Formats: sequence, C-alpha cells, structure tokens
Amino acid sequence: MDRRTFVKVGCIGSASVLVQGLDPMVRAEKVPPAAPPIDLHGIPDYKPSPLGMPGLFPGRVVEVRDRNAIVRNRVSQPIVRRLLEQAMKELTGESSARDAWAKFIEPTDVVGIKINPSGAPACCSSPEIIREIIASVRSLGVPARSIVMYDRYSYEIDIGSYQVLLPPEVQIVGIQDAFSGGGVGYEPTVYCDANFFGEWETRSYMASIVAHQVTKIINVPTMKDHSAAGVTGALKNLAYGTFNNVARSHRAPHSFTNPLVGLMCTVEPLRSKAVLHIMDGMRQVWHGGPLTQVQAFIEQPGILLVATDPVAMDTIELEAIEEKRRESGVSSLWQHDPSSLTADNRIFFHDASKNLFFRQPGHIAAAGKLGLGISDLKQIDHRLRPS
Amino acid sequence: MMMTPEKATSKSPPDWPTLLGDNARTGGHAQVRFHSPEKAVWQYRTGSPVRSAPVFHDGVLYAASVNGVLHAINVATGTSKWKFEAAGQVHSTPSLFGNTVLFGCDDGKVYAVDGNSGKKLWEAGSQAEVWSSPVVRNEIVFFGSADGKVYAVDGKNGQPTWSQELGGRIYCTIYAEEHQLYVGCGDGKVYSIETDSGKILWSTATGNGIDSSPAVVDNLVLIGSEDFVFYALDASNGEVRWKYETGLGIASSPAVSGDFAVIGSKDGFLYAFEVQTGHLRWKTAVGEVVTASPVIGSGVVCIQAGGTFALDMGSGKIVWQAGLGGAIQSVPILAADSIYLASLSGEIYALR
Repeated sequence: MDRRTFVKVGCIGSASVLVQGLDPMVRAEKVPPAAPPIDLHGIPDYKPSPLGMPGLFPGRVVEVRDRNAIVRNRVSQPIVRRLLEQAMKELTGESSARDAWAKFIEPTDVVGIKINPSGAPACCSSPEIIREIIASVRSLGVPARSIVMYDRYSYEIDIGSYQVLLPPEVQIVGIQDAFSGGGVGYEPTVYCDANFFGEWETRSYMASIVAHQVTKIINVPTMKDHSAAGVTGALKNLAYGTFNNVARSHRAPHSFTNPLVGLMCTVEPLRSKAVLHIMDGMRQVWHGGPLTQVQAFIEQPGILLVATDPVAMDTIELEAIEEKRRESGVSSLWQHDPSSLTADNRIFFHDASKNLFFRQPGHIAAAGKLGLGISDLKQIDHRLRPS
Repeated sequence: MMMTPEKATSKSPPDWPTLLGDNARTGGHAQVRFHSPEKAVWQYRTGSPVRSAPVFHDGVLYAASVNGVLHAINVATGTSKWKFEAAGQVHSTPSLFGNTVLFGCDDGKVYAVDGNSGKKLWEAGSQAEVWSSPVVRNEIVFFGSADGKVYAVDGKNGQPTWSQELGGRIYCTIYAEEHQLYVGCGDGKVYSIETDSGKILWSTATGNGIDSSPAVVDNLVLIGSEDFVFYALDASNGEVRWKYETGLGIASSPAVSGDFAVIGSKDGFLYAFEVQTGHLRWKTAVGEVVTASPVIGSGVVCIQAGGTFALDMGSGKIVWQAGLGGAIQSVPILAADSIYLASLSGEIYALR
C-alpha cells in the first residue's frame, strides 16, 4: 500500500512567484505568502519505531555546561566526556553512562552520526564530541565499521578535517559534492515535493544512507541562528542534511523553512531512526548563521544539550539565542521588519541588525504540531545541570 | 637511483612531479618569474570536482578528479591525452616516478599508470582510503592510508616492502629523506620512521590530529596540527625547537625556500616564518578559510583560498588575485609562463 501523505499547507504559494527578481525591500510584504502544498513520500509500510521522534523522553531536555569545556576555541576532550556522561545519565535516569546509551543503541545497529559541518571551521559539530559519541557507541559492542558519520556536502566535512580526527574504520560519508549532480546518493522513491518559487526541480530526495544503510541516527546539531529558519538546530540539521535540493525553500526575503523542516522530519524512516539529539553548544552563533566565520558573533559557553525530543531541544536553543540577541541589543529572530533586510551578504555577516530573509523560527512549533515534540516552554522539562 | 628529483630541474618548462613541486616542498621556488596572469588560455572540464593538486611533466598536466578519473592534459592545447578510471573516488595528489603516474584512491589502492599510454602498470593495496600523495625515494613508493598504516612498496611493481601501523588515520603526505620518513597522523603525533625497515625512530605528540604534510629543512621538520599550532621539530629526535599558535586548526602544508617557510591556517591567514628562529615575518588574511598549501614562486607566494592570491614574499601584501581556482584544497602549479589551477567545480585552467 502506498502510504503517500498529502499535506495541504496552503494554496496561494504562487503569489511569491510573481515577485521574484525585485529588490527584497520591495518584495517585503507584511503578510508573507502561504506555503504551497507539500507532498511527502516516505518508505511505504515502514513500521514506526517507539524510539523515533519525539522518542523515549518527550519534552525533556538536559543542559550541562562548563565554561572550561572550550577555551579560546579549543574544546576539552576530558570535559566533554564528563559532560556527555552526566547528561546521558540525567536524560535516562540510569546510573551508568553505558546503560544510558543502551537505551538507544544495540550492538547490531548501524549507527549514523549526523553532524553539522556547514559553519566549519568557525562553528561546526566538534570532533571532540563526535569522538565521545563514537567511544560510547563502541562500548556497547558496535564495531567501528558500523558507525557512519555523515552529512550532505563532502567538501564541508573536509574543511572540518573530520577524516583525520576520528578513529580508523569509522565510515565518513559526504553524500554529495557541492557542485556535482544532486541525484547520486539519494533514494529516488523517498522525497518531498513542493513548488515554492517556480523552481524546475520540485523534489527533495532522502539520502540513501538514511533510507537504507543506518538503523539509528544520533543527531549532533550546533547551536546557531539561521538567516532563513531562525535557528538551525536538531530539526533543521536532520531535515536539510538528509534531503537534497533544500536551499530552494528560501528565496529572499521569504522562507518556507516553516513548514518544510518539520514535515521532512516526519518522513519515514528518518523519523523512526533519529533516536537521540546531542546539541553542540560549545559555541553559540547568535548572528550570521549558518555559515558565518565572524568570531564577534560566536560565543563560547561550553554547553551540551541532550534530548530525544528535537522540538523541545530547539525551543530551548531558540530561547538561548534570543536571550543573547536581547543582551546584545539586536532585534528578535521573530522580527519581520522590511527595513532590516539586505541583499548584500557582506553587510549581513558583519551587521547583526540586518538579515537576508524574514526568519521563520515558527518551524519549531509547527514541528510540534506534527507530533515531533513539545514546543511549549511551560511543558518542557528543562534540566539545567551546571558542572 | 632516485627518480623523483630533490629540486626542480632547470630545463624549461620545469617539471612539477609531486605535491608542492618537488620532494623538498619548495613549491616552485627559483622557477621562472611570473607576472599577474591576464587571461585563461584554455579551460578543461573534468566533469567532477577536483580536490587535489595537479602535477606537471614534459608538457603534460596530470589531474585527478573526485569521480576517480586521472586526466592527462596536453598543456599546449588544453586537450585530453588520455584518461584512466580508478575503481573509487580520488582525493590524492598524483606524483611522478620517472614516467609513471602514482596516485591513491578511496578503494584503498595506490595506482601506477604509464604516463605515455594511460595504462595501469601495477596497484598496491591498503585497507582504507588513500588520500595522501605517494612519494618516491630510491625507487620505493611510500604512502599513508586511512587504515592507520604507512606502506612501502617497490616502485617497479608495487610489491610490498614493509608496512608500519601508527595510532590513527593518515591523510598526510610523507616527507622522504635518505634514511628517515616524516609523517603526521590522526592520533596527533609526528612520526619519524626508518626508510629501510619501517621502524619508528621517534614520535612527538601535538594537541590534536594532523592533516598537514611536513617539509624538512636544515634538520627541522615543519608541520601544522589541528591543535592550531605550527611546529618546528628537530628532525633527529623530534624535540620541539619552536612553535607558533594560529587562530584555528592547520590543514595546510608548509612550503619552504631557504630560511623562509609559509603555511595557511583555517583562521584565514597565511603565515610566513624564518625557519631557524620561528620569527613571524608577516601574516596576511587571504580568505575566510585556508586549508590548501601555498606555493612559492620567484618573489611571490601563491595560494588558493576561495580564489587565487599572489602575495609578495617579502611583505605579505597581495599583489594580484584571480577569481578562478576557488577550490580550497588544491594547489596552483607555477610552470614557466603559465599557472595551472584546478577548481572544486571540476575545471582546470591555464592562465597566462
């Protein structure tokens, strides 16, 4: 049986097509265009896993931090090890880190570790955290060759030097090169179909590695703002790193990251396989994300967030970045003021009052409504554990 | 007999048989002075990204594209002489052993291909991808593999001579001297290995994994580490003679010329040092990120970092830049009156 899901999000998306090519300031309507219909095609008859999002602990987010975990951009391996063990035990209620990990991973699993290298080298998933995850997974009996660290673009993985920094036998996979054909490495029958701005290719395909190779995914997003999505956290790292052809969802000044991010995360088998989210908050980008290299907008708070619920995790992340922006006297990520828009990347990267798009942090709450987790702060069990 | 020359020869146009021009990593020093390029005289499409550096020999440019194809390009015309297709992706910079082209492959093998015909001569295996560039010394080919081993094989037939396991993945191109090899490793150590036996002579730990490839000059091993630091180690015993901390990790490899060494950092700067003292001569921002190796020409340093930049060797000031050659893994070739660039988008350019 074809479990094709048709999600009718809106029907006046074509309005946005008419205004392409104009200056973003001119295009900045107060009422943004509604998203077009988005058609989701998962693997037919895929049996959902009870570990799938929102996972074993909906609404629970454990935050551990240690200012010494990162000093002058260097992440401390021993402190990260301690923080991760502490957070995993707190999340699961287990007394040992090994038992905590065993709630998610079995020795026969092929474990995918989804990193975020897109801001490398200034802000990307820290190799030190990836090493600890690998060590923890291996401690359960998973062989190194059954661990696959992956992301979409191989050249971004190269910039992070992950190949060198991880143990031998761990597989390191860039699904595609930046400029090569987009179809290689993707499953042609699993996709999201939507026409946002009149683009010629309306489908985004799921990576084959996610569709077929790995049995569990540990998601390691970074803590940073995103010029189109508001923040790029657990949800966006999974969605936009698993499917190809996603940049088409935002064309200045409009962004359909809401609802596309959440919808992509509901597609099976991605939803079922993503069992654990470990947010790397060693660095926190509060402006210029996801690609900035401007250190002035990158804090080093030494935070780890751990959850099975990506919506709750991203809600906490969003609050943290909002707080930092308030402290710095710049506008909220929710602001939709046309005068804040610029089409010049150079201005955007160096001026925290400017942005390229009307950001869409509402994608987090929208994902909550899809059942992926809890976005209401009052309902989130945020366990802050200082080191 | 050592087939790969220690120094670039003086014939014109000079050969460029391995990473950074020759086994001494001089990166083109003392070759013909070149000026700011004015035009691209040809453009060759490989059809796949190029994430390694080309090499040059006797009018032919050899470039490996990621899709596993080794291209031999006639530089007079910019046309294909032959192509050789390996069984996996290729990230390794080719090197030349006489008329044989050597390169590593993601299928774990090093391939030896005849430079005239493009036919495979032999292959040598390892257990994981080979991103490093094979180097040749006394007819022995040395290479490191992501399986954590250094291999020595016979340059004539690829038969194994010895292998030595280190503590992590190896993406570093080995520096081969008469009796010692020097190599950086993913376990963060720099190793010295006996050429004949593979025995580890010494190792020195840095603070993180090593992606950089060493140069050796005046008994100093120069190498960068992902711990942000550029090291000068005593080649005899591995002791740290001096070190310099940059702003982020170092994947770039140093180019040297006399008492001058230059290296890039992921913090976006190029750093130039006096080799003996470690004194910083200059540092210049050239891009957001520098991961490629610079090369030294006559009075200038060239680097690919989102474009191609030429800096005055004395002052570090940018004297010209070109938008072509945006790859940040490749290294330009400075040959006679032309510069050859490879790009992430898969084009090879000849600039003149």
